[in-house]
Amino acid sequence: MVVITLQRKKCIGCNYCVELAPAQFQMSKKDGKTVLLHSIEKKGFFTIKSFDESIFDCSNEAKKACPVNIIEVKQI
Amino acid sequence: MQKIELMAPAGNFESLQAAIDNGCDSIYFGVEQLNMRARATVNFTLDDLEEIEKRCSEKNVRTYLTLNTIIYDHDLSIVKTLIKRAKEANITAVIAMDQAVISMAREQQMEVHISTQINITNIETVKFYSMFADTIVLSRELSLRQVKKITEDIEKDQIKGPSGRLIEIEIFGHGALCMAVSGKCYMSLHSHNSSANRGACKQNCRKKYTVIDQETGFEMELDNEYIMSPKDLCTIDFLDQVGDAGIKVLKIEGRGRAPEYVAKVIKCYRDAIDSLANGTYDKEKVISWMQELEKVYNRGFWNGYYLGQKLGEWSKESGSHATQKKVYLGRGEHYFDKAKIAQFKIDAYDVAIGDTILVTGPTTGAQEMELKQMFVNDAPAEKATKGDEVTMKLDFKVRRSDKLYKIVKTEFAEN
Repeated sequence: MVVITLQRKKCIGCNYCVELAPAQFQMSKKDGKTVLLHSIEKKGFFTIKSFDESIFDCSNEAKKACPVNIIEVKQI
Repeated sequence: MQKIELMAPAGNFESLQAAIDNGCDSIYFGVEQLNMRARATVNFTLDDLEEIEKRCSEKNVRTYLTLNTIIYDHDLSIVKTLIKRAKEANITAVIAMDQAVISMAREQQMEVHISTQINITNIETVKFYSMFADTIVLSRELSLRQVKKITEDIEKDQIKGPSGRLIEIEIFGHGALCMAVSGKCYMSLHSHNSSANRGACKQNCRKKYTVIDQETGFEMELDNEYIMSPKDLCTIDFLDQVGDAGIKVLKIEGRGRAPEYVAKVIKCYRDAIDSLANGTYDKEKVISWMQELEKVYNRGFWNGYYLGQKLGEWSKESGSHATQKKVYLGRGEHYFDKAKIAQFKIDAYDVAIGDTILVTGPTTGAQEMELKQMFVNDAPAEKATKGDEVTMKLDFKVRRSDKLYKIVKTEFAEN
């Protein structure tokens, strides 16, 4: 299972995560920050758990590209 | 010569208060992500706009909102919201780089200042942007002679902004300069995928580098490994020439700096500008201001490009050359209003009579003074150490959010 977590509040809207993992991330036109699609929020942390292992690589690339280190990607 | 407006950086409420207390005429600040310090852990939010305006308007300080990053399509809505909220909160102007921001601010009848990132270096470009803005920040790479020519031509050609007033020129007066052209840099983006132009500069130009020819392996012999790290700009020693160039606003760089830095730099430049206005600006004062400025964060000083000489003044060490630094002692616990007594708990280190202490906080700003008297556990004492409850007479209110520091000399003070 792939678990992706986004600490959304610290996003600076650089768009890199969307370029690398467009199926998981989308920029919000409301506040210019990224949205982790289909995620559930808990205390400012947005999380998705997916059995689709194919999303790991691109999400991990997005994690590595994030300049403010607010994306966490784990395979459990 | 018109009196120069002193513009201070404000990265948080501590620095904002320190700037106001030390006599700035205006402040600039960022909100949320669309400013050159978006990466900063502490940044103002939209909800802080009213408080910023309230504190500044009480002291007749003008407020400028920086919205000067590159802007993507997905940012347009937040740009509109920021400008709308700034307008509602009576913020004086928006500092813009992107044409979308300029256009949106104009649509909402918000005053616009053209950011240095647009890199304006000639009178025709000033004329072009005068259609949209009343104040223009010139490129950092101009000499004062070139700046003067531009201000003279504005007067001669009567170039006016949307307000109907002559265009006012702003330049950088003090603080960090990078090797990029007017702050537009891609180094951090290339090396760390972290765009300086989105406010996420990693400052990797400040590190040691060697230059090696990849074909031959030949390594260039360099006197200094910090080949991309210029010293900090300082204009206080030729402020008379800066004033003579006809500028209206002098901007102090440093939204990432500590409140005591803002306090010290603004105080020095306030004194200098006032001295210039009343004819008492002299060499002796310059020496004492320079000594004060050296106490806080700096990478060594140079004149930038203003005097048209000595290009390539690189810093020689990493980090600061400050002759002083602060050491955390403890935090504020209580303030007895009637007696004007402040109570602190010492968490680390120790403090003694005769030490210079610093109290910082969101409402307190940065207050520095010599410790002349104190009580430890209700008895007069010469020294206090970790774990002690200390009381001392202070003229300003101390809050629980305030921190107490001691100012100590650094190795640079001994050199």
